This record gives sequence, C-alpha cells and structure tokens, in this order.
Amino acid sequence: MIAPPQLRLSHLQAMVIFAIIISVAFGFLSRRSSFERAKYIVLSLFLFLLVGVGLGWAMYPFSR
Amino acid sequence: MTENSTIPAVILRPPRSDFRRASLALAVAAAAWLLPGLGHALLKMWGRAVACFFTVGLLVVLGTGMRGNIFSRNGDDAFSKLGYVADVGAGSFYFVAKSLEQEGPDVSHANGDYGTRLLATAGVLNLLAALHAYEATRGRKT
Repeated sequence: MIAPPQLRLSHLQAMVIFAIIISVAFGFLSRRSSFERAKYIVLSLFLFLLVGVGLGWAMYPFSR
Repeated sequence: MTENSTIPAVILRPPRSDFRRASLALAVAAAAWLLPGLGHALLKMWGRAVACFFTVGLLVVLGTGMRGNIFSRNGDDAFSKLGYVADVGAGSFYFVAKSLEQEGPDVSHANGDYGTRLLATAGVLNLLAALHAYEATRGRKT
C-alpha cells in the first residue's frame, strides 16, 4: 500500500483543516438543501475558528 | 360491528413490520459503520454518502500522515481503551489507517498529537453517521 506523505502542519493549519472537514460533514448530515448546507457549513466553520482562536488567546497568559 | 373497528389502524398493524424495520435499520447502521457512507448509499442519500466517505477518509489519511497514534485493543489504561473505541468507529478505515502508518506513531511532536485526534474524530464522525443512517431508516430523520 502507498504510504501517505508525511505532513508537518502548524497548529493553525491543523485546526483550520480539522474545522473545514468537520463543518462539511456536519452540514451534509444535518441539512437537506444545498443552500441550507452551505449556510450551515460557513456558520459552523466560523464558530469553530472563533472558539479555537478564542481559547488559544484565553490560554496565552498561562503559557509563560 | 366488531370490537377491532374502534381501534386505530396503527395499533392493529402487526408488530412484525416494526420489527423488520428495526432489523433493517440495524443492518444499515452496521453497513454504515463498516464502510463510511455505505449506510447512506443504501438509503439513496448520495450526497451524504459521498460526504461521509470522503470526510472520514480524509481524516484517516491526514491522521496517519501526521503520524497519529492508532490505539490497539489491548490498551494499558482507560484512555487507551477509550481511544480504541473511538478509532475502531471508523470501521474498515481503522485497518486502512493501520496499513498506511508503516513507520508507527510519533507523538513526540504536536503533529503526532493532532494526528491522534484526527484519527479519533474520524471514528466518532463515522459512528455519528451510522447513527444518522439508523435514524433515517427508522423514519425519524430525513
């Protein structure tokens, strides 16, 4: 079997890729029409990124 | 007029049809678990089938590419066992992940840690899709 390429992603890249994939899956599972799905995917992705970056900043003071 | 004529038709329906529907739903859920997207494909929900297959597949490929940890059945602690349950939720893709990750996991870097999470997410997402396919077969979801 062909091995996948070794990936070296930054924290942000990993989070964005994760958010995109999960948003698409949630959008397709929970909505029926294309427009509703697109709306849900965009909103879900935005919230994923907002919460991710927000939590990152919230933990910043404890990283030192 | 018989006594049965006052009973709604729903109650008169033999319980066997409900049993058959539940059995069918279980079979669809098992298919959905075994191969991501197959459950929805059996229900002719093509968009969802393709989305499940590719999202779970992509998470597995990325997770193994980042050298995430694939938990095995004989884990030492509760977290390893829980990780195994999450990983094996990907069905056949669990074994695909095992065969893809030839060099083994490397969680000494953040990448490997992220990979572990992506693999676990692939399993949990597939379980969610299987549950959705089950509910759709039962007629509780559209």
